[in-house]
Amino acid sequence: MRETPSTIELRIRRQDGPDTPPYWETFVLPHAPDHNVVSVLMALREHPLTHDGRRVDPVCWDHNCMEEVCGSCAMLINGVPRPACSALIDQLEQPIVLEPLPKFPVVRDLLVDRSAIDAGLRKVHAWIEIDGAWDTHEPPPRIAPQQWAADYLYSRCMSCGCCMAACPQFGAGADFVGPAPLAQVRLMNAHPTGRHDKTERLHAIMAEGGLSDCGNAQNCVRVCPKAIPLTTAIGELGRQTTIQALKDLFGSS
Amino acid sequence: MPTTGRTMTASIGNRHFVLRRLHSLLGLLPVGAFLIFHLWENSQSRFGAEHYNREVVEALQGLNYLVPIELLVIALPLLLHAVIGLAITREMRAEPIRYRYARNWAYWLQRLSGVVILLFLLLHVGMTRIQGLWTPAIRDDLYGYMQTLLSNPGFFALYLVGLLASVFHLANGLSTMAIVWGLTTSAAAQRRFAWACAGFGVLLAALGVHGMLGFLS
Repeated sequence: MRETPSTIELRIRRQDGPDTPPYWETFVLPHAPDHNVVSVLMALREHPLTHDGRRVDPVCWDHNCMEEVCGSCAMLINGVPRPACSALIDQLEQPIVLEPLPKFPVVRDLLVDRSAIDAGLRKVHAWIEIDGAWDTHEPPPRIAPQQWAADYLYSRCMSCGCCMAACPQFGAGADFVGPAPLAQVRLMNAHPTGRHDKTERLHAIMAEGGLSDCGNAQNCVRVCPKAIPLTTAIGELGRQTTIQALKDLFGSS
Repeated sequence: MPTTGRTMTASIGNRHFVLRRLHSLLGLLPVGAFLIFHLWENSQSRFGAEHYNREVVEALQGLNYLVPIELLVIALPLLLHAVIGLAITREMRAEPIRYRYARNWAYWLQRLSGVVILLFLLLHVGMTRIQGLWTPAIRDDLYGYMQTLLSNPGFFALYLVGLLASVFHLANGLSTMAIVWGLTTSAAAQRRFAWACAGFGVLLAALGVHGMLGFLS
């Protein structure tokens, strides 16, 4: 066990607005057990003093659930993209370096605009059409337990953006939708109701910025905090698009 | 163009998708297949100048339709693969230091080796096939020409780099091609196939080095 330090030292990359230059500030807080990065930032918000005693604007960041299911607190912690709420202080190397999640435009300090994820989800039709708001006189669709277990892994995605931050093919100026929306295509295509729109989803990811733009660096699956098998989804979508292309070329069914 | 659905165009009618899959396919056929043939062919250098110049070089130069084959089966696919590959390389935002995973390094090295191969090929093809067009001596005694060239340590190192870059590019390309086309989907399958490709790469590199050393014996 590492010796517990008596203080917590934070080095935070700050930025006052979307177009202003970033700068670094260091903060030292008293150590408390069971702190995570979000709770430390909350403590810092109460007394926003730099290590040399200057009073500054409190650090701005995004957080909500505190239990790694909402995905909003993702940031670069000691160089690794991960949710801040599940980053326990006593497991981190000090000084703890906090930077905004890369690849996404900075709004202020550690707060980024992650609407690119939503745009990607819209682009690939990552939802299921309801099969009628009336009684269809049919039993609910059945899913085999084995398939349910495999699909469940993808349903855990919380759109935190860590996979996109680590992806060398995703970023400003690139078309690539990124791993998270692709994994949702894998999930929705397997759903008993969602599979009716499978062709449309596959055609969407066969366009610019789709599956072809994946470079197979596979950083996504390494950094995903929910351990979603993103690269398996990409391989399965490779197979689905290959079959779809053959169907389009030679005629389906 | 008649289509049977509002999104049909984003498939085989989509230039982006077709070019990417073409790039992937060309890397194996015919470009990768030619590399294997080329290294096997040049490993015949082991059997001496007489055998190499007559049985390998002369036999190939005596092929009917040689120039159309060279242009359509080797040069054009290679050029297409290179042009699309350079366009893909432009999209790279590699961070090999931040993410030190083997696959991330392979991603970065695949693009780096592609550029290295392109530069090497300009020199390699220029000094053999192109220069041979107006220098019959090169064609008549390619063994002797290569022996002189490879005896120079600088050129030997250059050829070794070109060889290893090409073999890596093919072996790694094969393993990612399997993911792109959907042959390997699970992480275990992708890992297994990556090891198989690595084994294939080591064998091919050994064949290539064997051929290079053959010119020096």
